[in-house]
Amino acid sequence: MSTSKSSRRTQPWRDTAIPRRPLLWLAAALLFTLPPMFGNLASWVPFLFLLALVLKFWMEPRGYRLRSTILKLILAAVTVGAIFLSYQTLTGIEPSVSLLAVLVSLKILEAHTAREFQVMVMMAWVLCLCGFLLSQDLAIGLCLFVAFALLIAALVQFHRGSSPGAFWLSLATTFKLLAQAAPLVVLLFLLFPRINTGFRLRIGDLRSAMTGFSDRLSPGGIAALANSTNIAFRAEFPDRRTGPVGPMYWRGLVMWHCEGMEWRGPYAPTSISDSSRRYPASDKTIRQRITIPPHGARWMFALDRPLGSPSGAMLARGNYLYSVQLIRKPRRYEVLSSTEPVRTELDAYERRQALQLPASISPAVRELAASFAADDSEPRQTVSRALQFFRNQGFRYSLTPGEYNKNDLEEFLFHRRTGFCEHYAASFATLMRLAGIPARVVVGYLGGEYNDLGGFFLVHQADTHAWCEVWIPENGWTRIDPTSVVAPGRASQDLSSFLAGRVASGEIATGRSAFFTGLVRLALVNQIRSIWEALNYQWDTRVMGFDADVQDVLLTSLGLTNKGPLPLIMQVLVVIVAVLIIYAGWMQLRTRPRTDRIQALYERFCRKLTRIGVQRDPWEGPSDFATRAAQSLPNESERVRRITETYIALRYAPGPGPNSIHRFAKEVDAFTAHR
Amino acid sequence: MKAGKFPLLYPTAGFAALLFVLGAMWYAASNQNSPAVYLLLFGLTAVFLVSIPHTLLNLADVTIAPESAKPAFAGEEISLPVEIMNCSRTTRRGIGLVLPGSGGERKRVDYIPAGKAARVTLRFPAGRRGERRVGTFRLTSIYPLGFVRVLKRFASSQTYLVYPKPSGDPRLPSHRARSLHSRPQTELGEGDDFAGVRAYVTGESQRHIDWRAVARGQPLMTKQFAAEAEGSVHLDFSALGFLGVEERLSQLALWVIEAERVRRPYSLRLPNTDIAPAVGEAHFHRCLRVLSLFPEGERA
Repeated sequence: MSTSKSSRRTQPWRDTAIPRRPLLWLAAALLFTLPPMFGNLASWVPFLFLLALVLKFWMEPRGYRLRSTILKLILAAVTVGAIFLSYQTLTGIEPSVSLLAVLVSLKILEAHTAREFQVMVMMAWVLCLCGFLLSQDLAIGLCLFVAFALLIAALVQFHRGSSPGAFWLSLATTFKLLAQAAPLVVLLFLLFPRINTGFRLRIGDLRSAMTGFSDRLSPGGIAALANSTNIAFRAEFPDRRTGPVGPMYWRGLVMWHCEGMEWRGPYAPTSISDSSRRYPASDKTIRQRITIPPHGARWMFALDRPLGSPSGAMLARGNYLYSVQLIRKPRRYEVLSSTEPVRTELDAYERRQALQLPASISPAVRELAASFAADDSEPRQTVSRALQFFRNQGFRYSLTPGEYNKNDLEEFLFHRRTGFCEHYAASFATLMRLAGIPARVVVGYLGGEYNDLGGFFLVHQADTHAWCEVWIPENGWTRIDPTSVVAPGRASQDLSSFLAGRVASGEIATGRSAFFTGLVRLALVNQIRSIWEALNYQWDTRVMGFDADVQDVLLTSLGLTNKGPLPLIMQVLVVIVAVLIIYAGWMQLRTRPRTDRIQALYERFCRKLTRIGVQRDPWEGPSDFATRAAQSLPNESERVRRITETYIALRYAPGPGPNSIHRFAKEVDAFTAHR
Repeated sequence: MKAGKFPLLYPTAGFAALLFVLGAMWYAASNQNSPAVYLLLFGLTAVFLVSIPHTLLNLADVTIAPESAKPAFAGEEISLPVEIMNCSRTTRRGIGLVLPGSGGERKRVDYIPAGKAARVTLRFPAGRRGERRVGTFRLTSIYPLGFVRVLKRFASSQTYLVYPKPSGDPRLPSHRARSLHSRPQTELGEGDDFAGVRAYVTGESQRHIDWRAVARGQPLMTKQFAAEAEGSVHLDFSALGFLGVEERLSQLALWVIEAERVRRPYSLRLPNTDIAPAVGEAHFHRCLRVLSLFPEGERA
């Protein structure tokens, strides 16, 4: 921030060299960079930003400005301190974006010169970038696009100066620029190589992405992710075009430690050897190629039951993948999974672990579990009785089941009976352990969205799911998903489409008001919503899904990759230059002054005379010139005189017809002078 | 006026800032492998690229016609009116005109409608006395986004005159020159009786400006008073032998102004020129022109 030297206080708006209109455009653009900040940053940051904007519009007409260097330094120090207090750190995406937003707020209050205006526009562009780092939602994308367009409008308005005309005229120029830029954007987006640079300094990890998945399963933890559009990972099946038949359960982490409604994974997962294992037949296995965006933790995912671990990862107790190092950059690996239970022995240690129970389980719950295990000791019977209980006792599947504590098992099972997958998985596994069946909770993802352009499945954070595995002596660890009993459709589709269907049909309690549910049922609203969903889907799969790997697929199919990125860059540049030249030619054609046809013909006639040595002087009138030319060209005197007469008649007589112009053209054409 | 062959295009300071922002976006995009950020990066890049032909063509069919600059005394300001003509069929915006090397500022025209012209007056300090070339005009524009500047050069062979800086003794030389007008006559000069006003001559003392008329919005006028004139005054270069050439010219210029102000006929004699006594604007400028063009370094 520069120090202002002048301390002159003059008329409103005069004090600032930034004229009012560009500042208005800039302020509007800054407003549109706000939405991604809400909900992703410490809540006071966007409000401070908003306050600064409002304050600017109060201060500006009064000629006030943030001038004192000391005050600026104090404000900067205070806000940076506040950010540190909010986040306990200054590194990572969110604190950095907060820092930038706060600095822009202060800059708004300070700015008054044309140069500072430019700086603010640039800062606003960086804010757009930050918005996309925080969220890649379609709605956010639209907001940031509006901000982007308004910033261009601000620049155009700034350079228009005091041109008269309505304020929206600069928008017209902006639209023209954007429309002309659109083909170039598509070209660059599709074909410009996404060069993977070697220098990967870490920008920082997004905290919300890290909380997407944790080693603790607490009630409400997964439901909180249901609206997240962040991508968890992408999976391809190299051996087949489509995915496996039946639901896709992506195994992430197995939790052994039960605390009632809350479950916990091991603090340090132990590796198990898989050498003793018998590999199932190849038609029971499925190969996957998985790409995980950096999430800053060690979770890795694989379908059903992974067989063996890719390099840099281990197979942890509970048969799940665990990275040796933190995943700080996109990780791509291949893994083979078995689609059916793998028969192993349950050793004593695992049995002890799988039957561990907390002390604080209420008698009512113990009684219930005992009733499942009653007559016989056949585990399958016990499991199906427990599932029956969930199916028939009016349990509801809800994103907002309310708060539960880890000791609220009884409350959940007997009173509220409303929960999300983590509630069902946790309570079911606890009940199984009470009934004497070894059980564990598996957390991972369920489903995935097929991207037909890239031929892969996109798994979102919202697809996070928890289910159970129980030990059945004949089968080994068997997957039981109690959620599928309560919400039968959930397992066959990803969460968002499942919820969309349920909300629309009014089956599901979303915790929203009855008015909203009623509104949702209205046909029009529904239609708009479904269009929005379709747009969202297109955005997520076509635009947000089009990353370096998908681009690779496209470039290969177009046969453009074999020569490396440099020739491709050159080709793209050549196309861009060609497009720009076309634009320039078109604009030139549209704005070039209309040439006067009569004048052009006469000039041609004069050039013909010049060629044989009779040059017209700039000050010479046509008749004077004709007289002179006739004198020096006695042979042609008649024609020279006639052409000049026609010219004068056409030029100065009122309303010459197109016919006579045509005749004139012929005469000039036919004129060939000889000495 | 004929322009240089091709308009030049070069980046502005804003371009450096843009490069920085694009670099940041590219870095973030490749680091996060984020299509959204790539989209933003390519969007900004494409808009910048598209703005290049817009800027380039913003000066197409725009030409200039400089008018003649009024002479000024050394140390004062030359004002050179220039007409910028937009011959195209669209409004041209954000056009700047500058005379590099003149020490003047860039003049800006916010807009010129299609087929119209705008007049700007370039002001720059008049340097040393003599006849000076205007040099090359530069027409620039950074509209619409300000990331590149287009430059068109218009070479001009036009000249302007800088009169010597008037300085020295303001009292007119007292000796009578070849008393052609020896008989006393009533002339306008310094005296007590107000005898009307006439147009202000640049460079003369502001003591007699009719400020009341100025306050009424009228142009600058000098009040004249009837006085007993002393006949014509002879201004001779060689009579001022004790001063250097430039000082002598300055002294003569001051006397020319003073004599003109009091409406006393004056003649001017230089080593190579002789101007007969007269009074009036044409005579005034003729004398000053001769003083201005006096060869440098020539001795009396």
